[in-house]
Amino acid sequence: MGGFSAISAGNGWLIAALGISVVFFGLASLAFIITYFPRAIRWWNDHAKSPKYTVQLLRSLFSQRNKKATIRADTREGHEPGELDDVEEALRLLTTHMKEPFKLPRLIEVAEQRGLARVHSNINRLLVKGTMVGGTDGLFRWANGSENANHND
Amino acid sequence: MIPIDELKKYEILAELDPGELKFLSAMAEATQAREGEVLIQAGLPARTLYILQEGDLMVAFPDGRAITLHKPGGVVGWSALVSPAGYTASVTCLTDCTFITFSGSELLRLVQRNVAMGTKIMRNISKVLSRRLPFLQEKDRQRLRKGR
Repeated sequence: MGGFSAISAGNGWLIAALGISVVFFGLASLAFIITYFPRAIRWWNDHAKSPKYTVQLLRSLFSQRNKKATIRADTREGHEPGELDDVEEALRLLTTHMKEPFKLPRLIEVAEQRGLARVHSNINRLLVKGTMVGGTDGLFRWANGSENANHND
Repeated sequence: MIPIDELKKYEILAELDPGELKFLSAMAEATQAREGEVLIQAGLPARTLYILQEGDLMVAFPDGRAITLHKPGGVVGWSALVSPAGYTASVTCLTDCTFITFSGSELLRLVQRNVAMGTKIMRNISKVLSRRLPFLQEKDRQRLRKGR
């Protein structure tokens, strides 16, 4: 026995197909990893300077994502109870790695990338409340406890 | 068209007499924008001047600095009065907003025809801006002075 008969008899076709599949999926996985590797490195450089921070950030992101769908369902409606506290906590985490005073447009951009709910109006609420304040230099900072004035009018 | 009584409420138009306000009343329009909407994009041709009636705004400069406006009467898009010009900052609505708008070219023509009125408007805009933007760059101040 030889030639194609021998290949068929020894499950050669099946083994060849399996080999092709293994190589294909291997290369596809490698391409996927290479594609996302720079992004992962950038994210690590930007945000994951300490394991504790990473854990906190991930926790805040997942808790926000669960709420996001319901909060965004109708932006005309008022904000949900406790939403501001959650957003403030997440924003404070985000600004941990920005030099304070920070640039407000950059904070909004990063917060939107992280999927925080209604970033603009929640930041506005923090500004009006005096929790976050803008300086005459065009930069923003978190107010200390009793400080409650907005300098941006 | 916006009623004269409404226009009189705003600082940049406060010094105008009823006759002058009547001209502006015919040119003015009301417009709305939603929370998160970019009203003005820095660098694009400046065609409209906005007076904030209600809502909250962020004015962001290309270098990343910003101010926020929370009171009615805030003016954005003043570059529309300096022709030809592009907007020097981006403006984003922090909440749902309503505005009184003026076409920059129409307003410019009007203030060029009526020097007294133009002087009052430019002086008030300059006053508002210098109070609001202590970090405004000298080149912006010069552009505003040229447009006067």
